[in-house]
Amino acid sequence: MSLFSDSFVSTPVIRPDADVLLEIRGLHARVEDKAILKGVDLTLRAGEIHAVMGRNGSGKSTLSKVLAGHPAYTVTAGTVTYRGQNLLELSPEQRARVGVFLGFQYPVEIPGVSNLEFLRVATNARRAELGQEELDTFAFEDLVRERLTVVQMDPAFLDRSVNEGFSGGEKKRNEILQMALLEPLVAILDETDSGLDIDALRIVAAGVSQLATADTATLLITHYQRLLEAITPDFVHVMAAGRILRTGGRELALELEERGYDWVDQELASLELG
Amino acid sequence: MVASTASPKTLAGWTGDLLAQLPAPSGPLTDVQRRGRLALSALAPPSRHQEAWRFTDLTLLASLDLGPSAPNARRHSPGDSSSGPSETSARSETVCLHLDGRSDPLAGLVLPAGVTPLADSELVLALGHTLAATGCEQDWPVELNHACASQLLALRVASRAKVSLELVSDGGTGLLPLRVLLILEEKAELQLCQRLTAAGAGLTSLVLEAHLGRGARLEHGLVALGPPEAALLAHLALEQEPESEVRLVVASAGWGLSRLEPRVVQVDGSATTTLRGLQLVTGEQIADTHSHMAFEGPEGQLDQLHKAVADGRGRSVFNGAVRVPRAAQRTNAAQLSRSLLLSDRARIDTKPELEIVADDVRCAHGATVSCLQQDELFYLQSRGIAAEQASALLKRAFCEEVLRELPAPARLWCPFERLLAAADPAPAAQSGLAASTLPRVGQEPEAPEGEKG
Amino acid sequence: MTTAASLGDLVSQPYKYGFVTDIETEKIAKGLSEDVVRLISAKKEEPAFLLDFRLRAYRQWLQMETPDWATLGYPPIDFQNIIYYAAPKQRDKKASLDEVDPKLLETFEKLGIPLSEQKRLTNVAVDAVFDSVSIATTYKEKLAEHGVIFCSISEAVKEHPELIERYLGTVVPSNDNYYSALNSAVFSDGSFVFIPKGVECPMELSTYFRINSGDTGQFERTLIVAEEGASVSYLEGCTAPMFDTNQLHAAVVELVVLDDASIKYSTVQNWYAGDENGVGGIYNFVTKRGHCRGDRSKISWTQVETGSAITWKYPSCVLQGADSVGEFYSVALTNNHQQADTGSKMVHVGPRTRSTIVSKGISAGHSANSYRGLVQIGPKAVGARNYSQCDSMLIGDQAAANTYPYIRSQQPLASVEHEASTCRMSEDQLFYLQSRGIAFEEAVSMMVSGFCRDVFNQLPMEFAAEADKLLALKLEGSVG
Repeated sequence: MSLFSDSFVSTPVIRPDADVLLEIRGLHARVEDKAILKGVDLTLRAGEIHAVMGRNGSGKSTLSKVLAGHPAYTVTAGTVTYRGQNLLELSPEQRARVGVFLGFQYPVEIPGVSNLEFLRVATNARRAELGQEELDTFAFEDLVRERLTVVQMDPAFLDRSVNEGFSGGEKKRNEILQMALLEPLVAILDETDSGLDIDALRIVAAGVSQLATADTATLLITHYQRLLEAITPDFVHVMAAGRILRTGGRELALELEERGYDWVDQELASLELG
Repeated sequence: MVASTASPKTLAGWTGDLLAQLPAPSGPLTDVQRRGRLALSALAPPSRHQEAWRFTDLTLLASLDLGPSAPNARRHSPGDSSSGPSETSARSETVCLHLDGRSDPLAGLVLPAGVTPLADSELVLALGHTLAATGCEQDWPVELNHACASQLLALRVASRAKVSLELVSDGGTGLLPLRVLLILEEKAELQLCQRLTAAGAGLTSLVLEAHLGRGARLEHGLVALGPPEAALLAHLALEQEPESEVRLVVASAGWGLSRLEPRVVQVDGSATTTLRGLQLVTGEQIADTHSHMAFEGPEGQLDQLHKAVADGRGRSVFNGAVRVPRAAQRTNAAQLSRSLLLSDRARIDTKPELEIVADDVRCAHGATVSCLQQDELFYLQSRGIAAEQASALLKRAFCEEVLRELPAPARLWCPFERLLAAADPAPAAQSGLAASTLPRVGQEPEAPEGEKG
Repeated sequence: MTTAASLGDLVSQPYKYGFVTDIETEKIAKGLSEDVVRLISAKKEEPAFLLDFRLRAYRQWLQMETPDWATLGYPPIDFQNIIYYAAPKQRDKKASLDEVDPKLLETFEKLGIPLSEQKRLTNVAVDAVFDSVSIATTYKEKLAEHGVIFCSISEAVKEHPELIERYLGTVVPSNDNYYSALNSAVFSDGSFVFIPKGVECPMELSTYFRINSGDTGQFERTLIVAEEGASVSYLEGCTAPMFDTNQLHAAVVELVVLDDASIKYSTVQNWYAGDENGVGGIYNFVTKRGHCRGDRSKISWTQVETGSAITWKYPSCVLQGADSVGEFYSVALTNNHQQADTGSKMVHVGPRTRSTIVSKGISAGHSANSYRGLVQIGPKAVGARNYSQCDSMLIGDQAAANTYPYIRSQQPLASVEHEASTCRMSEDQLFYLQSRGIAFEEAVSMMVSGFCRDVFNQLPMEFAAEADKLLALKLEGSVG
């Protein structure tokens, strides 16, 4: 961590008065015996859209899994504070209930479990946390039909098993539908654009933009800048070797697009030498 | 099976007579013969009370008169054009070996580069190793082979060598014991086309062992065609190191009684096994395949398809065991058994047998038994194809799904026509299956698949 | 936290029905002999034909050997160390429920089966069997108005001997297997149902079996007959106290359906399964078979098996009548050291007979769960069809799932299709559900009930929720 400390550019601030929703400090994590995150610092405030970019293996997907509490990852150092609360103490379901949402890169298929039932149970768990009344089957169906328009999904998807037999684009739209129902304050979208054709990408991006409000923060994880053409980020972070190497505005994404990631390696090498 | 000689002899009595007739042990397998005879005299023969023999009555063997083995009148030599394999000898790289159970199969032959005979000292270590690894070294048919076989073919394929061999055995009458031992070194590749035929009343006993080193590849096609008065007992024991690949395709027809036991073990997982089987029975024939697949390490793969066609009063048995112990996490195994039952006096017994003690695995199996699909038949008929020919086409399509996976040289044997002829010479001729009216072998049949899954 | 470990905790729930009712019991001495068979028959004041039936079965049993083909391991059972008859002492004849020992009523109430007039289930008639005897049957009179006979088999022997003589042992011959012979010799009590021609039974019928004594075997015998055009839905439930010894339960169930009749037979079995080290629990060796004698008749078996140290059970259908239908829907959950070898036999005899098998096995802990089935298509079963599906779910890497589907066909114009798959409850699936705010226990329960849905859909409405709850109970609990 100390190796990089002087080169680190701390997150700039657009609205200093906005609430800090998520604060990540010096986060280290490993999977089995392999250290993946080596000191990540990141602050998300309400109303902000952040993009984390980086090559495969840079640790960006690990960051999303750690934030959601995946049991395969062990946090070895650092803190994550969500609205003043230690996020790392919470179980995965508790994180979801308090408003942290992870849109998966590869949503799993769960044969036999009805999508509608799954969405209802999840939505009611979140509502209970917010002190809202539980929705019965009918009220929920009304809600879900309304939210389906966000992702332009066919209601027939509700009658199928969770993600079972869904195409790549349908799975991603189902993720955004879940986000629309759970109304998170912090949404982390892991490679939401991967495997999408242009139309699906447009729908998903429009959904994400619609759900990003002045009260929420969004963290887009991607390695193409394609998604960022549809959703304009306030900040772009470049991740490499398990930490955030550089932070900038929208232009950083364009620079990456133009120059590729090779300069990242050079910078990393020079840092390690220095 | 041999209706004419309805002898009341018991299998134990038959075995005793056989042991008494055998010449004194000799040759490279002297010790094995001695041990085998001892074991066989002590071993109770298989009975239908045992689960593994529940469907197949081996006492039928007792009606076989096993005089001293008489060679087939048509003695083959490499390049003989009457018998099929030679058609492929155009492939200069393919060497054809004849196994007759009596003479040294390597005598006077030049082996291709990368293939060497096993030295006697190696034999002592290697013989029986894979039989033990696949858990069949004390099975009755194996001990029978041990007791009788005096010759063997034992070859080593050198690391990274790519070799194609043909093995031909033409049983005459009487007992033909065949023993093969193959060692494939790391990354060696062997394509083995094997043909077993028999001319008259007799028993062919085959025990084949192959050990595949890391990354080795064995493509083995066995076409076994016998007459109704002959029996076949075959154990094919294969042992795979990681990253090795086995493709075993076995097609059999015509034997009064056949029992095939492909047994594969992936000793450390991470290997790929593809098994294909096709058996045709008609008349009073019994064909029984008991396959056995064991995964002893993680990330192994199995893709198995077994097909059977039962006509006349024939009986087809398939038992497919798959064992996935705790060590075999992330195994991916799929087994499918599909049987066509074409006569109301024929019978199909099929039984997958999965034993799994590992949670992170994908194992699927399926079995279907039916006749030809009426809607498919109707579809062909509605295009002007006569019912009988439509049936023949569908039956062919059903079989070709397995046969087209034979190694290329074996596909040139026109296996389907030969299988059909072996299974039932007369109807094959009647049903208009002359080669000229049918698509060439290797060409896709025009019919849809034989039946729906 | 590893998923396997926490799943393990989850499926190791304490058994809720493990209490023993302290009640004075009349027991005969341990051991089995011809005298014991005669004694049981005498105690039940049986007619001569039944004593003969028992004695013939006993002699057959003496000649038989315990079956060893199942994938089960257990020490040999000492049949001389079992009590073959135990009954709670009570007044000679229970004219009405008021005369039944309150302790017994309390026991059943504790088990969720209230029998008294005020509390009894409104839509279900219940026969309650305690150890070797039936203690009460509700709604008998109401059923009688429709001509439906629902009573204990002992009562039926006295009141309807002609029906018993006509049907008993005609579906499961006493020499069918070792345990059916034993049961035929010493069976104590069970239920008898007779639905006359054209009657649709107006309510669900249910028998609740309770083993209470620690050293007593339970040998119940159930016989259900549906005459032409009749139909009935029947459910049995079972529990037993926790003992550190094993109790033998060897039941025989026979179903007979005539033309156009149907029987739906559901079982929710929750015997005591032994502790986490495999000590104690019921040995359950059961022969259940239905005979579709009539054309267009139908038998449907549904079972939810969660209990027993050992389960050996293959509810079967002999499909003799033309166009008759057999169904088998099963969920078997094993945990700890439980062993289950269960499945179904569908024997197609008549033309155009159809059968369906859906089996879901869930194995956790060190348990072994085997599906063993037979689909047999006889030479006359032209146009017969079978479809079988058996899926296994493994929880943890110490549990075993075995599948042995035997298929035999002798009829070309018939089709048999079998499919099977094995899956596990993956960490990723659980995490996905959790990351949407669904608690771990609920996530597991959702996945298990999703896995079993095809079977639960077959249970009568009244019991579907009960089965779901039962599995949830076995699966719910503390996760650290």
